[in-house]
Amino acid sequence: MTTDAEPGGLKPQSRWDVARRELVRGAIAVVIALIATIAIIFFTSKEPSEAFWTLLTAPLSKPRTIGLWIDDAAKLSVTGLAFSLVFQARQFALGVQGQLYVGAIAATYVALSPIGATWAGLPLGILVAMLAGAIYGFLPGIAKAKLGANEIVSSLMLNYVAVELCNFLVRVALVAPGSGLLTTAKFPKTSLYPALVPNTRIDLGLIFAVVAILGVWFALYRTTWGLKLRLVGHNPRFAEYAGIKANFIMVSAMTAAGALGGLLGSMFVQGQAFGNLTVQFEGGFAFEGVLIAIVARNRPLAVPIVALLYGYLRQGAQLMNIRTDVPAEVIGVVAAIIILLVSSSFGIPGKAFFTRMARRRQTVAAAATGGVAK
Amino acid sequence: MALIEAIGIGKVYPGGVVANNGVNLSVAAGEVHAVVGENGAGKSTLMKILFGIERPDAGTLLLDGQPVHFTGPKDAIKVGIGMVFQHFSLVPSFSVYENVVLGSEPHAAIKFDRQKAIAEVRELSERFRLNVDPLPPVRSLPVGQQQRVEILKALYRNARVLILDEPTAVLAPQEVAELFVAIRSLIEQGRTVIFIAHKLPEVLEISDTITVMRQGKTVGRVKSSEVTEHSLATMMVGREVALRVDRASVARSERVCEINGLRLRNARGTDICSGLNLSVKSGEILGLVGVEGNGQAEVLEAIGGLRAVADGEIIVANENIVPLSVLERRGRGIASIPEDRIAEGLATGASVAENLVATRLKDGAFARRGLLDLKAIRANAAKLIDQFSIRVGGPQVAVGTLSGGNMQKVVVARELSEQPKLLLVAQPTRGVDLNATQFIWKTIAGARDAGAAVVLSSADLQELLALSDRLLVFYRGKIVAAFLNREDLTPETLGTYMLGLAEQSPEEMQAALA
Repeated sequence: MTTDAEPGGLKPQSRWDVARRELVRGAIAVVIALIATIAIIFFTSKEPSEAFWTLLTAPLSKPRTIGLWIDDAAKLSVTGLAFSLVFQARQFALGVQGQLYVGAIAATYVALSPIGATWAGLPLGILVAMLAGAIYGFLPGIAKAKLGANEIVSSLMLNYVAVELCNFLVRVALVAPGSGLLTTAKFPKTSLYPALVPNTRIDLGLIFAVVAILGVWFALYRTTWGLKLRLVGHNPRFAEYAGIKANFIMVSAMTAAGALGGLLGSMFVQGQAFGNLTVQFEGGFAFEGVLIAIVARNRPLAVPIVALLYGYLRQGAQLMNIRTDVPAEVIGVVAAIIILLVSSSFGIPGKAFFTRMARRRQTVAAAATGGVAK
Repeated sequence: MALIEAIGIGKVYPGGVVANNGVNLSVAAGEVHAVVGENGAGKSTLMKILFGIERPDAGTLLLDGQPVHFTGPKDAIKVGIGMVFQHFSLVPSFSVYENVVLGSEPHAAIKFDRQKAIAEVRELSERFRLNVDPLPPVRSLPVGQQQRVEILKALYRNARVLILDEPTAVLAPQEVAELFVAIRSLIEQGRTVIFIAHKLPEVLEISDTITVMRQGKTVGRVKSSEVTEHSLATMMVGREVALRVDRASVARSERVCEINGLRLRNARGTDICSGLNLSVKSGEILGLVGVEGNGQAEVLEAIGGLRAVADGEIIVANENIVPLSVLERRGRGIASIPEDRIAEGLATGASVAENLVATRLKDGAFARRGLLDLKAIRANAAKLIDQFSIRVGGPQVAVGTLSGGNMQKVVVARELSEQPKLLLVAQPTRGVDLNATQFIWKTIAGARDAGAAVVLSSADLQELLALSDRLLVFYRGKIVAAFLNREDLTPETLGTYMLGLAEQSPEEMQAALA
């Protein structure tokens, strides 16, 4: 129906209305997911109430666990941002994992070189990691622009290449001589992120995460590049008609997201959590960014909120794993339910039904009076 | 007694759009009953209710005086109601008879009895003077014939009442005449036709009774013999309307755009058009006439830079623009209103303000050193919303939430916010209601009067005749006729050339080509 005059056809919604509705939806999703978690814990645990209590409160129990949570949230934010950026341009590149590994490898080479032991080790490591990630993000982009290669396939394949490259380099080239461990030597102190709060994992990475959030938000909503990117994402045919070079936007979005992925690699290996490069150190963490981006609807400013909430649940599950008899995998169930609920754009249960009933009563009344009038 | 009667029909779509509100319809047996109204008046919803696709929230349907409840189209077909939609549901690779009998095939034992099916379809086609050969595949038929295959489908299922949803929208004038022959023959043989339309001359020609709808309500039921086009239009809109645009005779001056020897190819590499020459001057509207798919739309795309040119040149202001990008062409004063505004002319998820500046991001007024000037963008949106009376909650509202007419206005506002030198317009008022149509016509005429050269392509001959100063008729990628728009030029004359039944000699065209 497309008439101006129809009542209800025009519904201006302020951004706050939308934000509030999304928040309510998110909260309901979390509550439903937690109810499911209770059910699972109840069936699997001998002491279900203790396990559930651990899940909900353990991250706040000590300064150290708070540190774990905040550090996790910072890293989740960065991967969430990288995915949000490419998703907003409607590119389904899933290459953050690969970018993370090449970034980490690049940072490791800097840290273990003679430069690593000087003051330049830290900034240079970060820059080289971002550069490596950017190149790794650029590859599937240019392959799509020039050859029409599907970015989902190429970015996923490049992930494997990066993971195995890391595996190979650590085993063959980077492992400390005589050591049987699949890990490099600890980086010199000059190449490590300084801790912001002593004896926790909260380090310089948190500041980078905040800067990245603001930077991506600014780029998307305050620059012509960001507007073009979003227009390409909304409607590529329109972008072409408006004279926007869609290919350039696509490749540059994937490259910028790659730089974020590389930064995340540096945050891992140069951060307080690791301080060295280990095979398989990431363990699929990068893909949590897909969840963050979906739940945050690709909005940079919503990313940290989602990351904090989800990071809290992740840490709670880890601690529940350690302290009780419930395995951490439970959190996978929570994540799956949240994604399912958020991405299926469910409504508040029963709301649609009640409004329809109310409207029907109105229309019937109106139709009845209209009939009488004739 | 009425054959079909609808009393107090109400229908609210999820999302709260009130499509029907106290609608009354009474159709007598053996008549052509037209239902007219603007887009969004609720005609299609009412028809969907009659055909069982939508269920009414209120009101009663009576068939032969008995209340009926349809749970789906099957129920409606069972009691003898058939419907032909605007968009056909035919299998293109199947033959005509296969399409007609599909789903209720005649059987000999367990085998599909093809001979019987062909004979039955042929018999039906002859009885109702539909003139359709049952054997060729449907995809080889012109649109008008395909429509009659749809009518055959309904008749094969013994439809007593046939609902035609905007049947003339896709037809050339000659095809309309053939359709009307078929409709009259249906009536003669006791069938009833409900005819949805918004082209008033056709409605007055074919129908016996007219029900007028406005904003989801029925506002009147009249005999066609007792109304005029003007009084009917007034009923539809609710106030006086003028369906004419004054063609101010602007002194035509310099040549703005000249196309020489243009050749365009489609994706398969065959020619869409070749050796095409035309020119357009400032202060004139050049109308491109033709049945859709004869090359007019593609020529517009080529000028706008959205379609590769295989050969030839397009000269704008003494410069061949073929090598230029879309943005460079826009920079030289070319604006374009595309045919499918949602697919091409708008990013529906982005806000009105963003859509209004999307083509002007190089412009220093809205962006400096890559940074958006949000204040200027919002001010621009506020100004254009006001100037083009776009009905919207504010500049930040997503375009996708607006009505069709208002979306079109957003496109028009963006393209005309700066006076263009050359304006390309394709189907500017397709799916747009009368009020918005008037507004858009005035705006295009205004751009012309301000000195723009306008190239207009439209499927609506009334629109072309109302706006154009010159008309070129396209048939299979060639210009087969050229006219200066005079009072005595009729849609029928144009139709003869549109269907390729006649062709002007080069000498005849000369006067109107230059």
